[in-house]
Amino acid sequence: MDAKDILGLPKTPLSVPPEKKSQPKKDSQRKPDGISREVYALTGGLAPLMPSIDSSYLKKRPPSDEKITWQWLPFTNSARKDTLQLYHWVRVVNGVPPTGDYSFAKYNKSIEVTKYTDEEYAKHLTDPSWTKQETDQLFDLCEQFDLRFVIIADRFPSSRTMEELKDRYYSVYFLSPVCRSILLARASSPADVSGHPLVKENYNASQEKERKRALSMVLSQTKQQEKKDAEVLAEAKKIAESRMAAKGVEESVMPATENEFPETTIDHNDTLVSLSNVRLAPVAAPPSTLVIADTSSTLASLRMLPVYLRTYALEQMVQQASSSAGLRTIKRVEQTLQDLGINLKPRVPTKAVCAEHLELRKEILTLLNLQKQLQYKEAEGSSLREGTTYSEMPGTPKRQVRDHDRTFIPDAMSFGGERGGRKDPKRKGPGRVSETPSSPANKRPRKMKASDL
Amino acid sequence: MYGGDEVSAIVLDLGSHTCKAGYAGEDAPKAVFPSVVGAIDQMEVDDNTNGEKNSSIDSKAGVKDSERKGKRKLYVGSQSLGFRRDNMEVLSPIKDGVVMDWDIVDSIWDHAFRECLLVDPKEHPMLLAEPSSNSQQQRERTVELMFEKYNVPALFLAKNAVLTSFASGRATALVVDSGGGSTTIAPVHDGYVIQKAVASCPIGGEFLTDCLLKSLESKGVVIKPRYSFKRKETRPGDFQAVDVDFPNTTESYRLYSQRVIASDIKECVCRAPDTPYDEASYSNIPMTPYELPDGQTIEIGADRFKIPDILFNPSLAQTIPGIESFAEVGPNVRGLPQMVIDSINRCDVDIRKELFSSVLLAGGTASMQQLKERLEKDLLEESPQTARVKVLASGNSTERRFSVWIGGSILASLGSFQQMWFSKSEYEEHGASYVQRKCP
Repeated sequence: MDAKDILGLPKTPLSVPPEKKSQPKKDSQRKPDGISREVYALTGGLAPLMPSIDSSYLKKRPPSDEKITWQWLPFTNSARKDTLQLYHWVRVVNGVPPTGDYSFAKYNKSIEVTKYTDEEYAKHLTDPSWTKQETDQLFDLCEQFDLRFVIIADRFPSSRTMEELKDRYYSVYFLSPVCRSILLARASSPADVSGHPLVKENYNASQEKERKRALSMVLSQTKQQEKKDAEVLAEAKKIAESRMAAKGVEESVMPATENEFPETTIDHNDTLVSLSNVRLAPVAAPPSTLVIADTSSTLASLRMLPVYLRTYALEQMVQQASSSAGLRTIKRVEQTLQDLGINLKPRVPTKAVCAEHLELRKEILTLLNLQKQLQYKEAEGSSLREGTTYSEMPGTPKRQVRDHDRTFIPDAMSFGGERGGRKDPKRKGPGRVSETPSSPANKRPRKMKASDL
Repeated sequence: MYGGDEVSAIVLDLGSHTCKAGYAGEDAPKAVFPSVVGAIDQMEVDDNTNGEKNSSIDSKAGVKDSERKGKRKLYVGSQSLGFRRDNMEVLSPIKDGVVMDWDIVDSIWDHAFRECLLVDPKEHPMLLAEPSSNSQQQRERTVELMFEKYNVPALFLAKNAVLTSFASGRATALVVDSGGGSTTIAPVHDGYVIQKAVASCPIGGEFLTDCLLKSLESKGVVIKPRYSFKRKETRPGDFQAVDVDFPNTTESYRLYSQRVIASDIKECVCRAPDTPYDEASYSNIPMTPYELPDGQTIEIGADRFKIPDILFNPSLAQTIPGIESFAEVGPNVRGLPQMVIDSINRCDVDIRKELFSSVLLAGGTASMQQLKERLEKDLLEESPQTARVKVLASGNSTERRFSVWIGGSILASLGSFQQMWFSKSEYEEHGASYVQRKCP
């Protein structure tokens, strides 16, 4: 079948080879100049990106007066202990072969495994669970395999775990006076000795065993178990969030239990309990749940991100806070801020500054809302009054002034700017005086919150 | 300057299906030929009381041959094997990964050196590839044979898995070597095989070929070996096959020739299925045509996917009539993904993640289409989520087939390897058992 394919013969008598027609067309299209067609085709039809030989090399090299030949000569290798002589190509200059050791011999590095003598073993290094023979074997393997404990554990004749082998090796290393003396001799000061990694972090076999057991448990979890784990964690998160929204936290602790690599000893019940034990700052006045719930949902979405910029957070809060207001109102808020000389985005976004900025925005928004409400109510009132006889109150002009004042006092106290043009002249009904909060005049405007209404 | 230094070493990889030999430093072996030999007894032709007629490819002739040493003519190489001779038995030196017949090994090596590569072994250091779980006795025997008979100046025995991982540029990997005779899974850490975690399974390319052969026979397709027919031109351009009878052809030779054709079918047509095979869903698959050497065109349908799936699900082989011997091995053999995971779980916990992320495919059977994707998919399902599973295989099927040899070529031409040879003087001084020390 394949032979027929290669020859281009039809597999069955009916099919016609259409590919042949397209082939000659393709070839005739690409015929570059300066290079024959076949040679160009050898490159795969594309010009090479970079020249393979730097053309300067072709021009520069002068004929040197040295005679260089390449000879097949034997060589010795100082990294070998015997006298094996293999042959290789050597660049011979003027008939003088190069001297010196085999150039790759310098890569023969090995780890120094200090040896102990028999007396030292008898004196210091005996251990009930290890015979001398085993210890000797261990050290032999350590030297052969350059302290690759994975392989040493694999090749050790009797079955001992890697932790046991490591433990034995490091304890011998530590206890044997030879090693100690070497360490001390090499270290220039006692500080160095204590800085030596073996002294600092002594090998702890039981800790290693625990760690490995935990790791193996993680790695041996099947897919179903992992799915279940993920589901339970998601559930726990949802419950925790709803709890936090109910308690109303502005500043909550990032639940540290949401890490990627859970210790397997965590029981999932524990996760829930620990989350509920997170101390939430109690708020004195019962806040309007709506606003706080909104904030907490933004907070929740921010908590999803492992790292975020404070300005980003601020933007989110601002957006969410002004979601209830229309575009015009937002513009007015920004206008107000600009009139006050405050940047729309705080220039130094520290935590305190951002919080204050947010507060300010909220207050401005509240103010505008209140003003609008006032407007409506007064319009209502005036329309109602038109139906009744309008009796001039003695204090009308005063009231009007006070009206004017009242409208502007909050502005003046808070902003110092003029807002006169936008407001209609207000006419109040009788009961109005008491309604207008004189608090802005008395209290500091900053403390006015939606909660005070 | 790169780290290479050529000492004209020779790399020799005697596999269960093919033998590869060539110079170190090159990117493909020069000599590739089947690692079976044809043997004709030089004794009388009708002295066949020991049942040579019904021998299978796996040789039991080792025992008999030792009695009649030197009285057997061996034919090595694809050319010699391709020519049919009367009473020629086809024997393989390797059974279950262990060398049984050293004479045959000797003759194969001889053929490689003197007839294929045309070198004198005295002048070239040799790098031999050995199975990942080779016994000490086998290694010593190899070393003895090489030093005593061929007088090589230096020798090194490297494990297949290590060479494969070097060929892909890694020192730590999990090597899945799916060759002719068996599939071996061996983790390599830092250039050394972790022997306690090596897993091996007798399902290899040859087993799959056998399954295909039996399956086709059960469907009534007769594969005629090439020698058994002659093409006669009845009309210009139109050929007809005429049967030619050779009564003295041994059964093993006939089987061998049939297997050659069946393995060609397998390589052309078979694909690893994306999902585990089951009869129902694959019963309506469109058939692929294949033309046999005698002109007959056969259609292969579900077998295209069934045969490769035996690697993943060995019990499928039992549904093929004619595979009786498998029943003995059956219960212990698990599919490829399970073996991989078992092997990894037997390693130390710290290196498991690294092993998962570098699973290497090597060997002739690994060049099967879609095998890599299917293995990756199966491993992803069974492995833990924290481990990132990645199955790697070189895109070139030649590289996959010869990855052990290529690794050897790289290793033997490195400058810093030259200190590791096991030289003749060391052999004379310390004896063959020193190989354990020198070639870990």
